[in-house]
Amino acid sequence: MKVTINQQNEKTLVVLDGRIDSTNADQFQQDIAPLMEGEKPDIDIDCTNMTYTSSQGLRVFLLLQKSVVARNGKMVLHNMNPHVKEVFDITGFSNIITII
Amino acid sequence: MKLDVHCEMLLSEYHEKLPIYEKMKAVVLDLLRNCLDKNNILVSGLEARVKAEQSLAGKLELKGYKYHTLEDITDVLGARIITYYSDEVDIISALAEKMFEIDWANSVDKRKMLEIDRFGYLSLHYVCRIPETLYKDPELPQLNKIRFELQMRSTLQHVWANMYHDIGYKSNVEIPIEYQRNMTRLAGMLELADEQFCRIRKEINGYRRTVQSMVAMGKLDEVPLNGDTFRSFLSLKPFKNLADKIAAINHGEVYEDNLMPYYRILLNMNMKTIGDIVKMSKTYSESAYQLALLQLAGTGLDIVTYSVALQNLCIVAILKKGFGEAGLVSFFNALYGENDYHQQRAKRICEQARKINLI
Repeated sequence: MKVTINQQNEKTLVVLDGRIDSTNADQFQQDIAPLMEGEKPDIDIDCTNMTYTSSQGLRVFLLLQKSVVARNGKMVLHNMNPHVKEVFDITGFSNIITII
Repeated sequence: MKLDVHCEMLLSEYHEKLPIYEKMKAVVLDLLRNCLDKNNILVSGLEARVKAEQSLAGKLELKGYKYHTLEDITDVLGARIITYYSDEVDIISALAEKMFEIDWANSVDKRKMLEIDRFGYLSLHYVCRIPETLYKDPELPQLNKIRFELQMRSTLQHVWANMYHDIGYKSNVEIPIEYQRNMTRLAGMLELADEQFCRIRKEINGYRRTVQSMVAMGKLDEVPLNGDTFRSFLSLKPFKNLADKIAAINHGEVYEDNLMPYYRILLNMNMKTIGDIVKMSKTYSESAYQLALLQLAGTGLDIVTYSVALQNLCIVAILKKGFGEAGLVSFFNALYGENDYHQQRAKRICEQARKINLI
């Protein structure tokens, strides 16, 4: 899993590439640690090249979402492939994370 | 402004003690804020100020002869709590009495000073000291000796006071009787409005309690579905068994999320009472589980949200009532906003539903 983070004005653009599973979920959490800082974050996560997430990955997304909400910010995941989207749907995570 | 020698001395004492008053302001604000938080009281405003030099000089010019020392002037530091409702002023004052030492001889309940045929400035003013048991700074013992004024009033009393101050005090000429009469009429109207707000809040709280007890007693068919009743119903964790069962598919856990977004959806699904939701849950719980089993078994996904239970119940209800793919797309659009993806998701769910003979 490769995580690229870029700051564009007020918005933080994140690009995810690859799969998140038990072997790299901890690393994924470390990679996104910079997103857990700052007031009113506005985070846009491009999931075009994210091929899979396990429940460990879901837990990291949940941590990030809770952190963003606590800081009165917003986070959007977009361009998710149907297989990854299904993981969010059948676990109910589509109900708590904004996916467009 | 020309002040006599005595008043000039008081003013110089004021300059000397200004840092103490500023420190005291911060302490009083902290104490009040903590007290309100601890007692879960939401107020419309909490503020404090140290009297400005010009304002103090104005007061001394008018009645400086009354004060021997600066500490005789009890409103050099003033704090104010503005409540939403007038009946909350008494609650706040009771808390202030517990917290501070009240100088009763100099405290005034202006709400009780008015004659029965008069309206106007209604407010409660306490002259207080910070007791050492509450706050002590060995380097500033004066903090426990200097008195300050605590004003407590409702939002509408505050509106009245501000408007009266602006119109009444700023004017250099005496206000003609007809204008005073109009101000008095307004004061009466605000007092009535304050009472009405209190009454309405009490009635709504009474209604909420009635509905909550009906929900708790299980008289769910008699409980209309609205935002309040749905919230009360959710506090009973009505979908917990199903959510736990779904999570157990992969020996997983349930993340408790907020189900309130489903309120509008359930209204759109023609649910009229809380009883209708319970009926849906009883009727379709097993099918909702079977759908989750088909989706989750073998995936190893060991975390689901609490809302997945209600999500699957709604999906099954929509399919069982014959609304098909189009019904599911409307459901997802209403829940998440319009998105092309919802068509694919609805199609996939219909295929899964056929596999387990839901449709």
